[in-house]
Amino acid sequence: MQKELIYETELEEEEERYKFKEIGKRVLSWTGKNLKFLFLPASRIDELTIRETEYEKTVSKRKFIRRFKSVLTIVGILLVFFVATLAVFPNWISPKTLHQALGIYNNAWGPPDATNLLGRTKFGRDVLARIIFGARTSLTVALPAIALSVIAGVAIGVIAAYYGGWIDALIMRIIDVFMAFPALILALVFVVVLGNAFHTGPQIQYIMLAWGLLGIPYYSRLIRGNVLQARELPYIQAARVSGAGNARIMFRHILPNVIQPIIISVTFDIGGIILSLSGLAFLGYSDYRMIDWGNEIAQGRQYLYVAPWASLWPGLFILLAVLGFMLLGDGLRDALDPRLKNL
Amino acid sequence: MSLIKYIIRRILIAVPVIFGVMTLTFVLSRYMPGDPVLAYLPEGKINWDLYEQLYNQLGFNEPIIVQYFQYLGKIMVGDWGQSFSIARGMPVWDLIMLKLPRTADIAIFSMVIAALVGIKTGIISATHRNKARDTFFRGITLVGVALPVFFLGMLLQYTLGYAIKIDGQAIFPTTGFKTMGYPDPPYVTGFRIIDAFISGQFYMITDYLYHLILPVFCLSFISLASIVRQTRSSMLEILEQDYIRTARAKGCREKDVINTHAKKNAMIPTVTIIGLGFGGLLTGAVLTETTFGLAGLGQLLIDAISDDDYWVLNGLVFFFALVFISINLITDVVYGILDPRIRY
Repeated sequence: MQKELIYETELEEEEERYKFKEIGKRVLSWTGKNLKFLFLPASRIDELTIRETEYEKTVSKRKFIRRFKSVLTIVGILLVFFVATLAVFPNWISPKTLHQALGIYNNAWGPPDATNLLGRTKFGRDVLARIIFGARTSLTVALPAIALSVIAGVAIGVIAAYYGGWIDALIMRIIDVFMAFPALILALVFVVVLGNAFHTGPQIQYIMLAWGLLGIPYYSRLIRGNVLQARELPYIQAARVSGAGNARIMFRHILPNVIQPIIISVTFDIGGIILSLSGLAFLGYSDYRMIDWGNEIAQGRQYLYVAPWASLWPGLFILLAVLGFMLLGDGLRDALDPRLKNL
Repeated sequence: MSLIKYIIRRILIAVPVIFGVMTLTFVLSRYMPGDPVLAYLPEGKINWDLYEQLYNQLGFNEPIIVQYFQYLGKIMVGDWGQSFSIARGMPVWDLIMLKLPRTADIAIFSMVIAALVGIKTGIISATHRNKARDTFFRGITLVGVALPVFFLGMLLQYTLGYAIKIDGQAIFPTTGFKTMGYPDPPYVTGFRIIDAFISGQFYMITDYLYHLILPVFCLSFISLASIVRQTRSSMLEILEQDYIRTARAKGCREKDVINTHAKKNAMIPTVTIIGLGFGGLLTGAVLTETTFGLAGLGQLLIDAISDDDYWVLNGLVFFFALVFISINLITDVVYGILDPRIRY
């Protein structure tokens, strides 16, 4: 019985070794073991000496989890989760329906009471309900803008750094020009100019477009430096020798190796863009068709001394949302890039 | 000698950027609200014959490429057009110079305060690493990054300027830069403090500073956080260097190690952060001015957009870029002076 078992396991090992020569399955199994190793604290990989390189990688990934578990990061995750919950399920959470949040009642700018926990705003609408419905706006405006900046910015940055020469010089000069403006001021002018060009006034699509375009130079510059380093490494030579084209080398070989700072930066910038959008709304350049925290502040500002709740509560929620993303970004940076731990 | 070469190289790099900025503002100006000719017409009913004549005279009937070079020429000789609705017929450059001192005052004050407080806090944070004080400062600065400047402003306006009262009087004024009814000092430089100092009316200086406390406090929060973080991290890095260990080994007092050996070297990246933070400060100045009703450049920008003042808007956008570029240039030069290694 015992012998048979040993025999069978040996056979299985043989088979496994054979299978491991097929690269795809090897990678799959390796990832599986890594996952197990990552998520179960007590588990160990038995063949440690054989897999030294894998071990190193796993250890670094394990450190990632350990570093990620700081108090501030968890607070950040909770805050992001909180805002995301508000954004996804406003109808379940809000004490008033969307219809009521858009209705017109008497007792405008009324103080907090039992039915309106945080007071009333313009047209007697409930502040709490409008804050809850406003969470979705914040995220849905920030995410497409960021997506546009990241996709376009990364593509431009990788192409500029990979080809070098005059393409690089041209793109970098254009980027310099865009970076020569304070962001909010250029965004303000962009929104106004776009609204003026299409004769509509500031609208949400122009605001998203403006912030998306303005983020492009930043991400291009961020990724360019990393690509410049990566393109000199031996594995790029190897890829070229084995017949990979330029596009394949750029986006399949280089990009996955340099994307890490971008991921960290995106987390920060979601917070930053929520902040900037609220700044723009505060100045009065936002789409007035939306329920938005910035809009709420812009409307409530004239009544600050009469109804402080109408403008201060939305401000607090902007603070919480931005703080959440910033803390998360901070935690991610500590975990992914230990060199910057002290920052 | 290498320093002069370095400075010249930095200036040469800035020149194409300025041309690019001119080009971008030219493109944007085609779509800006308002009418470029209206500003030059006399007030009252529009005389369309005169309009046509001015339109041709200003070169708007020329091909676009000719217009572009005319635009460049005008910008470079300082002819930035005239104001239409804010101050009828006033050259834009004069209007900007009239409003600049207020923005410059709050921006410079808050930069200085942020730098002083930030560097001090950063050093304390680094020397008390992972102690309660460090955690406290880090938490404050993180909140500072995430804090919308206008939210802080409104919070302060409501609490210190309205709700909390001493003898029935609010503690701080919430709007404007002078007490109602106070006269302006005779115009010399435009900077209220300097003008009041020259004319000897010192009560104006204290009154002005008293009005600036809340705006400057709000604005300094913007750059404070990044300064603290940068100082802390570079300080921590430097404290692990060999020469610090040498200084300690030879029996230096800890105070001297920090202040004379470590501080200067830790300042180098901080200078960059302070310089780069100036752009954020300008942006924040727009928001702060709107919050506190200070008539500066930010307010002018908002007015220019809402009143369709074409040339003022165009001039302001270019002016902001120009300030930003010069600040970056100065930062680079200071960096080169402080750290001879980067003069490559």
